[in-house]
Amino acid sequence: MTLRRYSWAILIGLLAVAGIVLAVADIAADRRWPNPMAQVMVGPGPYAKVPPTQTLRFDRTRVGDKLVFEAPLIGFGPLNPYQAVRAFLTNGAGLVLLALAGLILFPRRARNAVERLEASPGPAIALGAGLLLVLLTLGAVTLLRFTLLFLAVVPLVLAVVLVAALFGVGCISLAIGRQLHDRFHLPEAHPLIAALAGALVVFDLAVIPYAGVIALGAIAMAGLGLTVVTRFGSSNGWSFVDLDW
Amino acid sequence: MDRVLACARVRVLMEPYVDGELEPAIAAAVRVHLAGCEECRRQHDQAMSLPFRMKALASPPPRETLVAGVMRAVAPTREVAARAWTLLAPEAVLLAFILWYLSGLDGLSSIASGVFDDLQGLAGGTLPAPPQVDVLLLLALIALTAIAGYHLSILIRIAPPGLHNRRHA
Repeated sequence: MTLRRYSWAILIGLLAVAGIVLAVADIAADRRWPNPMAQVMVGPGPYAKVPPTQTLRFDRTRVGDKLVFEAPLIGFGPLNPYQAVRAFLTNGAGLVLLALAGLILFPRRARNAVERLEASPGPAIALGAGLLLVLLTLGAVTLLRFTLLFLAVVPLVLAVVLVAALFGVGCISLAIGRQLHDRFHLPEAHPLIAALAGALVVFDLAVIPYAGVIALGAIAMAGLGLTVVTRFGSSNGWSFVDLDW
Repeated sequence: MDRVLACARVRVLMEPYVDGELEPAIAAAVRVHLAGCEECRRQHDQAMSLPFRMKALASPPPRETLVAGVMRAVAPTREVAARAWTLLAPEAVLLAFILWYLSGLDGLSSIASGVFDDLQGLAGGTLPAPPQVDVLLLLALIALTAIAGYHLSILIRIAPPGLHNRRHA
């Protein structure tokens, strides 16, 4: 009974540990395959030959240098748990915070979007729409480049796409959290707890060696597609009735 | 034969009287009573009013297949769903053509990096020179954008409605 009471906390802890372990493997597979969540935004690890005399701005202790282990497999980079923890505390925490922020700011819209995602065939439609939106964005950005006047619009287009994808990833996180609740018969908890667990699942998927970048791309595309298909979770959806008078 | 009816009896007969379901003799007796009783006449007038008549109507039970039929009627047709798949072909052809025309992914990434270089230049105050327009590439891009937009509108149409919309349906 007591264990069941803490099941959400245990699950979240397990997901966090799994994320760090997967990030260690993902970082070890560096240079063979892109691994954005484990490497790109965190910066290079200590094995990047930083001179020991150089004072680092955010890592004065240089404790990371002592936590680098040789890879058991030939051809892979060193195992770097310190860098993995950094990845978790930067990219992972950022992903969780942004996902939760979308849900906190737009709860009703998030609910509408998640309801439509949970209905069949919601995930397939979201992913297909996301793929089309990537094509549309590519086409639009390239076309905008051919004009001087609209070139300045490109950052705006990209910012809108980014915000839409983040809102969608937040909704997907909540949907995953609700699935976890149903599948594992977890006790009732605050929806943001479920969304937190869902966002950690997204992070874990994103740091799977080799497959992580594909998983992250698919989730981001599905999030973008979900946001656009539901018109940012609007209860009315896309309607042109107001234009027809 | 004229019959004298009490008010209580007339009140009971009021509904079938208004509906014209009484036998002629009883209906005539009610009519006679109404002519002489102001209170029953008032009740008769109220019973004749439209909202009251609507309320008195018994709603027939819906068919068991009603919900399934409505959902089937509002579901996207197979034709629309098939079109969503069919459009993948021209999109793939156009994308392949654009990639081939730009010499593969390198060309595409050079366009992307060109956009960011131009933006950096713009932020620095220098007006970048617009790249030379290739009509064939432009046409392919516009076609791809238009088809992808149309394809997206189809996906939006066949997307499942939210519970909110379903409740109002």
